Amino acid sequence: MKLTQKLLPFLSLIALFVALSIASPYFLTANNLASVARQTAVFNTMALGMTIVIVSGGIDLSVGSILGLSGLIGTMALEKGYPIPVGILVGLLVGTLCGFANGLMAAKLRIPPFVVTLGTLGIFRGLALIFSNGLPVHRIPPGFSFLGEGNLLGVPFVVWLLVICAVAVHVVLEHTRLGRYAFSIGSNKVASIYAGIPVDFHVVAVYAIGGALTGLAGMIEASRLMTGQPTAGQGYELQAIAAVVIGGGSLNGGEGSVVGTLIGAFIMGLLSNGADLLNISNYWQQAIIGAVIILAVTLDELRKRRMA
Amino acid sequence: MLLQLEGIQKSYGGVKALRDGNLSVSAGEVHLLLGENGAGKSTLMKIVAGIVERDAGRMLWNGTEVSLRTPSEAAAIGIAMVHQESLLAPHLSVAENIFLGREERKAFGWVDRRSVVTQARRLIEQYQFPLDAEARVDRLSPAGRQLVEICRAIQHGSSLLIFDEPTSSLSDAETHQVFRIVRDLKARKMGIIYITHRMDELRAIGDRVTVLRDGNTVYTGDLGATSTEDLIRHMVGREVAAIYQREHLAPGETMLEVRDVSVRLSNLKNVSLTLRKGEITGMAGLIGAGRTELCRAIFGIDPVDSGEIFVNGEPAAIRTPRDAVKRGIALVTEDRQLSGLALRLPIAANVTMAKVDKICRFGFLDLGKQNREVTALGQKLRLKAASPAQLGGTLSGGNQQKVVIAKWLFGDARIFLFDEPTRGIDIGAKAEVFELMSELARNGAAILMVSSELPELLQVADRILVMRQGRLAGELPRGATQEEVMRLAVMDAAA
Repeated sequence: MKLTQKLLPFLSLIALFVALSIASPYFLTANNLASVARQTAVFNTMALGMTIVIVSGGIDLSVGSILGLSGLIGTMALEKGYPIPVGILVGLLVGTLCGFANGLMAAKLRIPPFVVTLGTLGIFRGLALIFSNGLPVHRIPPGFSFLGEGNLLGVPFVVWLLVICAVAVHVVLEHTRLGRYAFSIGSNKVASIYAGIPVDFHVVAVYAIGGALTGLAGMIEASRLMTGQPTAGQGYELQAIAAVVIGGGSLNGGEGSVVGTLIGAFIMGLLSNGADLLNISNYWQQAIIGAVIILAVTLDELRKRRMA
Repeated sequence: MLLQLEGIQKSYGGVKALRDGNLSVSAGEVHLLLGENGAGKSTLMKIVAGIVERDAGRMLWNGTEVSLRTPSEAAAIGIAMVHQESLLAPHLSVAENIFLGREERKAFGWVDRRSVVTQARRLIEQYQFPLDAEARVDRLSPAGRQLVEICRAIQHGSSLLIFDEPTSSLSDAETHQVFRIVRDLKARKMGIIYITHRMDELRAIGDRVTVLRDGNTVYTGDLGATSTEDLIRHMVGREVAAIYQREHLAPGETMLEVRDVSVRLSNLKNVSLTLRKGEITGMAGLIGAGRTELCRAIFGIDPVDSGEIFVNGEPAAIRTPRDAVKRGIALVTEDRQLSGLALRLPIAANVTMAKVDKICRFGFLDLGKQNREVTALGQKLRLKAASPAQLGGTLSGGNQQKVVIAKWLFGDARIFLFDEPTRGIDIGAKAEVFELMSELARNGAAILMVSSELPELLQVADRILVMRQGRLAGELPRGATQEEVMRLAVMDAAA
């Protein structure tokens, strides 16, 4: 019984997949699936970072703005003529710095991360608009589109990237000291402090990693649009948090997994794709996804209460 | 007779807090209620004040039986309680707090602020309290807040007032002020029940006294006819739950020395002690005497304002728990669930928490090694668990405590501070915890054992330190009696 309940998100994903295959003849086509993979890659990458943050008992509301800022500055570097890998690294670095700032404030100012990142949500977005004067960056070398739209061995390049990131984050969470400390801090911060864990340092590290992954997501988004939009990523934080939570992560900290988060992100991706294919209006999509979040968390809570 | 309690019983989830509570108070009487920590005083008073309901027994109010389900039902018939911890709204004024929830409402739910202030002024003048009706409560001293609590309690003509250790956080001058008020209320023919631990203040205000022990009323009498020695004798002598015998070894060198440590934050004053290798040093004292606070200071949680701490003879600047852990100090806290154990993490993660480096190579965990070591440690401590993957929150209290101890064993701690190590643990597991502590001592650890369970402390510890009001009140050798410990815990050294 416990196992089936743990598998619930995965079974929902399969059920959704099967249902969509039956409902729409266009769903199970290589083109459509590749497009789903590309669409969800951005959310997935962000959600992986969010998973570590949430496991450690934190939250990052500013990821949408980080995505916008890092995509913008990364493409600005490309516009200046820097090579493509350098531009991508710049985007990653900007994301890392943003996450580092979030972590530093959450750890040292002793204010809740919800408030810190609510503030930086505004700050990072404002910075993006200031740097760009509100105008998108267009003069980008064509080769940059490979990141978001290219194929490698017949599979979208972003899927390879996502697999690499997912494996890396999984290893960090389950097989490194950093991941162990993230779980420990998220599950019981006081006990972690009393056990001598350098809590502040690891809180900063966790947010920085989350920021780096968001920076990468920002570059993928920019590559898919072939523009650096200062307004890119608005509202994405909710998607990322929802993916983690649907996948069994707890906003109280101490719980969450890479596999769960990926399933959560794909459920949302499929819902959105399915709604498009079935001609359900965008307005309804939003409401449906909101309802799914509540449903998923309610089921998870029920499971935990029964265990306790 | 104003209030009469007969054969009151109350259990909390299988634990009997009250077995046979008896108490009677008449108008114009100050009735003292005494007893050790956990004797059932608070539970009995909560029943009188309508905060909890009794399981059995009779409560007579002016001769008729009553059952109170809520504090407002108690207030309606004239019973009010002055709480030990302030339950006031800090951002509201004195007047607003006095009438909180009982404001006279006008049309549309408007509150007449002016009338609230006027009424509060009248009340304050009547009792000549040094209070400003319009001051904000968070600006008041602890004594001032206590006065507001008293005002709240007497505000609508209560005839019985319960004071729960009203002076525990007050200075001497403030204490005298509270006494004056108590006498004044007594002169107005109110009945007063007064819970206290302080023997020195008993005789200043009390008329009669009732002593509770293990949930039973064991003594009631006129204070004038009862000696302090008798009171102490009635308070102690709790039944010994488990017999534990341990061999006592000659202590080795000093591992931890606390020299003249004061902490303003928690009111610790000039505490000095030494913990020696192979020795279990017991620490007794009433709740609030500063025992937990001392552990917190040694462990780097609360900042030490003056004094020094030496570890293995060397001065140790311990500013954070991390500093303490690095020096081999372990704190087993009294509240496992809050600060000891990560309930949602597996046993293995809990056990390795204080020294993950041991199972780490270049930042990567060796999970195989982790599970081997945790399993071995679990077997050594006779931990009852399915596997190292079982979640901490699913274990029993005794097994949770074993996991906490395992964490510090794995963390190579040498100096152990145990704060109430047997709290919430059943009798069988208690003996196992004591055995573990003895084993630690045998293997050369230094142990401080803070406990409110006197019989356990007397059985396990090699010597006993007693704290009282933030100071070390004295030291007793092995073989001391409960009376001797209690005398130090409740009385002034001069008395």
